[in-house]
Amino acid sequence: MSEQQEVVERELTMSRGMVEAIAHEMRANDEVFYMGEDVADYGGIFDSTEGLLDEFGHDRIMDVPISETAYLGAAVGAAQEGMRPIAELMFVDFFGVAMDQIYNQMAKNTYMSGGSVSVPMVLTTAVGGTYNDAAQHSQTLYGTFAHLPGMKVVVPSTAYDAKGLMHNAIRDDDPVVYMFHKRLMGIGWMPAPDGPKTPVPETDYTIPFGSADVKREGADVTIVTLGLHVHRALDAADSLAEDGIDAEVVDLRTLVPLDRETILESVRKTGTLVVVDEDYRSYGVTGEVVATVTDEALAHLDAVERVAMPDIPIPYARPLETETQPQAADIEAAVERTQ
Amino acid sequence: MVAISELQEMYTDMVTARHYEERLQEEYLEGKQPAFDISAGPIPGELHLAAGQEAAAVGVCQHLRDDDTVTAPHRPHHVAIAKGVDLKRMTAEIFGRESGLCRGKGGHMHLFDPDVNFACSGIIAEGCPPAAGAGLAAQKRNSDSVAVAYLGEGAIDQGGFFESLNFAAVHDLPVVFVIEDNDWAISMPKERVTDVDDGSQRAAGFDMPGVRVDHDDAVAVYEAAERAVGRARDRNGPTLMEIQVHRRMGHFMGDPQTYRPEDDQTAATERDSIDRLEADLRARGVEDTTIKNLRDAAEDRVEEAIEWAKDQPEPDPETAHEDMFANPPSGVTDTDPEFDLMGGDD
Amino acid sequence: MSADSRVPVAVDDIWPEAADADEGVVINWFAREGTRVSAGDPLCEIQVEKADADVPAPVDGTLAEIVCAEDDEFERGDTLGWIAPV
Ligand SMILES: Cc1ncc(C[n+]2csc(CCOP(=O)(O)OP(=O)(O)O)c2C)c(N)n1
Repeated sequence: MSEQQEVVERELTMSRGMVEAIAHEMRANDEVFYMGEDVADYGGIFDSTEGLLDEFGHDRIMDVPISETAYLGAAVGAAQEGMRPIAELMFVDFFGVAMDQIYNQMAKNTYMSGGSVSVPMVLTTAVGGTYNDAAQHSQTLYGTFAHLPGMKVVVPSTAYDAKGLMHNAIRDDDPVVYMFHKRLMGIGWMPAPDGPKTPVPETDYTIPFGSADVKREGADVTIVTLGLHVHRALDAADSLAEDGIDAEVVDLRTLVPLDRETILESVRKTGTLVVVDEDYRSYGVTGEVVATVTDEALAHLDAVERVAMPDIPIPYARPLETETQPQAADIEAAVERTQ
Repeated sequence: MVAISELQEMYTDMVTARHYEERLQEEYLEGKQPAFDISAGPIPGELHLAAGQEAAAVGVCQHLRDDDTVTAPHRPHHVAIAKGVDLKRMTAEIFGRESGLCRGKGGHMHLFDPDVNFACSGIIAEGCPPAAGAGLAAQKRNSDSVAVAYLGEGAIDQGGFFESLNFAAVHDLPVVFVIEDNDWAISMPKERVTDVDDGSQRAAGFDMPGVRVDHDDAVAVYEAAERAVGRARDRNGPTLMEIQVHRRMGHFMGDPQTYRPEDDQTAATERDSIDRLEADLRARGVEDTTIKNLRDAAEDRVEEAIEWAKDQPEPDPETAHEDMFANPPSGVTDTDPEFDLMGGDD
Repeated sequence: MSADSRVPVAVDDIWPEAADADEGVVINWFAREGTRVSAGDPLCEIQVEKADADVPAPVDGTLAEIVCAEDDEFERGDTLGWIAPV
């Protein structure tokens, strides 16, 4: 950091970083509004709109009927009229009841129209497990949304990233799916790990999509991950360091576009790749990252491991969820297998 | 007129359900005070309790047999109790134990008890289509069993609900859709999300009867459900019912309810359908000691279920990988057939 | 600066109205010891009976001391930290 740069001392939780960007954009542009269930008086079940009602009122922070097809589709329609709606799907697991609007309209209209239409909206949604909410309320579904073409897919892991990525998401003329991990938000009743709370500048700033962030530099192994597992990978890296293994942790930050270059650069340096994902193992993020490296840098790759959710619905009981969800110890073990 | 024995059964189930929710609340909050951490304590995860909604459960389920199907939403315990779900194994499931109904895999929002054809699930209105399917199976098999789908008043704006009403109506399926109107969908009051006060009016658009029971009176629910379930059993098609109930607790246990006016909360606790049924029993000449015995027995049963559940072992982590499919992944065979196919390349 | 001139970070004024409880928990601090804070800015967040509330900085100054760290419990009337005014 150069001398003249301002030192940022104030720290925010991830939800506050996100909300600050939304509030800023709403002040700057009357055409930005937020729709979702329990986003007004409740402030979002996961604090995604905390405090916004007071400033913007029910007209712009809109509670909606439990009709996801209607209000997510309405966001598509309003966006095509040139407004900038943000629509929240309370848990990503509920995508099933409205997927047609999401992937047959929101994601495809720009392309199908030959570029004559654009859909400048943000679909915000809560993802992730760790609190025993079982099979219908714990998924991340990163791979599902990243697989279907036409959506930019954002997964912040810190307050600083959450704010800059949200500014970019709202200003972007394309549909952006903004997936925030419940465990990272800093909610009182779901304490976050150390890490997502970071210094956050008060001014607005944009972080470009497709720029992964090296959250820890290291020489021996590249750990590529996102969301909650950035913090688990950093924990693993700390304890690996005690055993003399120097891990680099790459936070993807966005899945679409995917910053393949940063991954490749890191693997060319370390020769070893461990991909960690909270989503299902098969046909997903881990496979895509490994394929990227085998396509472009096979000669540099000495060892590779994947750590992900097994291909089963997420079980409820504590020992079962813990068994299936990648823990820091699982990441450490995977790294050790590569050495 | 409803028989005294039936009133007593309903009373027992209501007391069981109320005591169950109050006791689960206590168990759930253990380790979660003063800091409410959803992952702490003996029961983790979300917990949606149904205290104040018992009349809707017992008044309808009193007409059901084990071979009738019930689907319930995310707030299922009172309905499960009224349907006769195994209380011990349900409780063990909620505590995440190996001998739970679902071996610890489902949890409180995903309880399955095929012995009494009960299931519940967590996505809004998603129990409606399977209930229609159970009705369809009964119709195709010429059986007189029926299906009941429970949902909240917030769920009647969901597409799956509308499609199911139409599907059931057009095929004259033996289904009863039961809306439990507790005035709130989490923090959203009914009037914010629909322009219709009476959800049962939605029935008119599908040419089926719609009835609303305006107060959570178990006897009134019983009488309205008698006609609806009877109509289904007699193969005269579906009915939509809406029942006014009350939410005595938060939406889920982590809900601070800061959005809820204090008088609404107080009113919900003052109108007590259990007191009302107790008064009905007295008016019909049931002695105080009999009522007390019913109440004690119900409460004992709850205590016993909770004690039993807490004694059960946790599941072996390895079992997480079991139960994916009923058949092996290869299906009913693991060998390719041998035919000599003419004209093939090999 | 003498210890006496420090201003306490107190919770009584922001205690959630509906709460019956007299104890709470610190959920988040938004500043570290030694950093500058401005009067009125959220300094930390507390939870009382499941409801969250922000505790604003009482004056401009430096956060001199955090008395109740994150996850610590406290009672109504307790001092969560001290500000050295500027
Ligand atoms: C499709 C879908 N959208 C949203 C939710 C989140 N959610 C769970 S319960 C609930 C409110 C339901 O209200 P209501 O149907 O009235 O039932 P109640 O909770 O009052 O019993 C919501 C929005 C969900 N589970 N599924």
